[in-house]
Amino acid sequence: MQIPVVRNVLEANEKLADQVRARLDAGKILALNLISSPGAGKTTLLERTLADLSGEFRMAVIEGDLQTDNDARRVAATGAQAVQINTEGGCHLNSSMILQALDNISLDGLDILFIENVGNLVCPVEFDCGEDAKIALLSVAEGDDKPEKYPLLFNLARAMLLNKIDLLPHVDFDVQRARNFATRLNRELAIFEVSCRNGQGLTGWYDWLRAMRQAKLEGRLTRPER
Amino acid sequence: MPPMHEMVIAQNILDIVREEMAARQCTRLVRIGLECGALSGVEPESLRLSLEALLDGGPWAEAGLELRVIPLRLRCFSCGTVFGGESGQDALWQPCPRCGEQFGHTVEQGKELRISHLEAS
Ligand SMILES: Nc1nc2c(ncn2[C@@H]2O[C@H](COP(=O)(O)OP(=O)(O)OP(=O)(O)O)[C@@H](O)[C@H]2O)c(=O)[nH]1
Ligand SMILES: [Mg+2]
Ligand SMILES: [Zn+2]
Repeated sequence: MQIPVVRNVLEANEKLADQVRARLDAGKILALNLISSPGAGKTTLLERTLADLSGEFRMAVIEGDLQTDNDARRVAATGAQAVQINTEGGCHLNSSMILQALDNISLDGLDILFIENVGNLVCPVEFDCGEDAKIALLSVAEGDDKPEKYPLLFNLARAMLLNKIDLLPHVDFDVQRARNFATRLNRELAIFEVSCRNGQGLTGWYDWLRAMRQAKLEGRLTRPER
Repeated sequence: MPPMHEMVIAQNILDIVREEMAARQCTRLVRIGLECGALSGVEPESLRLSLEALLDGGPWAEAGLELRVIPLRLRCFSCGTVFGGESGQDALWQPCPRCGEQFGHTVEQGKELRISHLEAS
């Protein structure tokens, strides 16, 4: 007997993501999900951001890591709240993990919650964590064809940081090509060329964060596509 | 892509299948019908293997998988024309066939990942 059953395979994760969203919306907390290949510079970006904006915002971080708590410790050293989720080999964070992590964060007075996803350009993209925006990080050390190879991330992200531009003289990375393909399916994508090593370009990113935070406060952020 | 990813997806599929089977008091599962968008990020062959691995040794070890890839279709940012090929990611980096626009197309179809039907009794 053929039974029509039209159900979204990821519905269980999306239901819990909506619960995360509801809790964060209640506190008008901006939630950003950082996605990149391993080593593109997510933790370094967070260290910089948390230190540079500590006088302006209260920020917390949920760190997804395959094995260690190194990243959580690096982030906590800036004085920000950090909660570690050990995925024990799992290739992405999911909304049930985020929901649990929220119980270990004091949300009171919090302005921005960063989620550092597991280093991977495929799996984290499909699992909604209840964020307001996905942020794609791409380092110039890993090749300018990433947006072509992983189109879904660049389609869904609201911002892309092109990191490690201090290395541009030493690598074959065509910035225009990466920008071109990243924006093909995403005209609105905000792009920042930065170096988390020397701080170049970070002011643009900080201005974007301020604008996003303000939009969240005023209830102007639309629900992200998935 | 690590096979881990498709394992998690397969687990989600089986959770839904179990629920639907129980709700209809079915016990015998012949086939799972799946629709997988060309841009969904899921690799069909890995998904097939993952499902087989999870079903192996259980009561539904013989169940088959009918997997249909839903081709990518884009809506042109400038003129609204919907375009796309017959299969897979054909449309991915193509300009609009009507006006030549290259940027800002909306994905109309191709991100789906859903169960379409079950064959069961
Ligand atoms: N040259 C250069 N190196 C950088 C820059 N940003 C980060 N790095 C280095 O890149 C390496 C990886 O950085 P992380 O911040 O740990 O990267 P990550 O994305 O958090 O890595 P995982 O969590 O393992 O996926 C470190 O050695 C950083 O010092 C940069 O802008 N320029
Ligand atoms: Mg890290
Ligand atoms: Zn057109």
